[in-house]
Amino acid sequence: MTAMLLVTLTHWQAFLFFAAVISVAFGFLGRRQPKDRVKYILWSFFLFLVVGIGIAWAMYPFSR
Amino acid sequence: MNQHNDETPLLELPVVIDGAPPQGVRQAEPSEAKAWSVAIAGWLVPGLGHAMQRMWGRALVVFFTVGLLVVVGASMRGNLFTSNGSDAFDTLGYVADLGVGSFYFLARAVERTGADVSHAGGDYGTRFLATAGVLNLLAALHAYEAARGRKA
Repeated sequence: MTAMLLVTLTHWQAFLFFAAVISVAFGFLGRRQPKDRVKYILWSFFLFLVVGIGIAWAMYPFSR
Repeated sequence: MNQHNDETPLLELPVVIDGAPPQGVRQAEPSEAKAWSVAIAGWLVPGLGHAMQRMWGRALVVFFTVGLLVVVGASMRGNLFTSNGSDAFDTLGYVADLGVGSFYFLARAVERTGADVSHAGGDYGTRFLATAGVLNLLAALHAYEAARGRKA
């Protein structure tokens, strides 16, 4: 079989994918109760977005 | 004749507080060997360490998140490091990639034409693969700690 799966994601899609997958894993590993897990996943996802966008803006002056 | 004193109970029942075993009943000690076998199984097959302890939700999530990161990372033509790296960063990347256990070979199977980090996609793929490895090592450590009874 020589077929190969190719995936192309934009920066934003890759960023969202990464944040979502890691947040879900952290939520399940870090909390036991379903309600706590959902809260943790949403909070973690939000922080990934805020910190990621924050770092991107902080690096902007040095990007050229 | 035996006369019963009202202050002494007729039958002494064990008192159970907060799920603790009754006095005099020994709880099974978590085995160190079992904890290590859980950790190694969790490293080899993502989620297996948790599955061995009947933590089904965590087992499934670890299996699918690590697997998804590996498949997407390799499909984006991320760099899957090998043992013959040229510098310390390559070696570090190899250690991180080995963290996915048997999924390392899955990534090799998906990434047939080799890495392409000349585009941002390939670079993101490299990060996804490394993250999958570190995440799986974290999950294996969590399973190990749970097997030792430290946390769950």
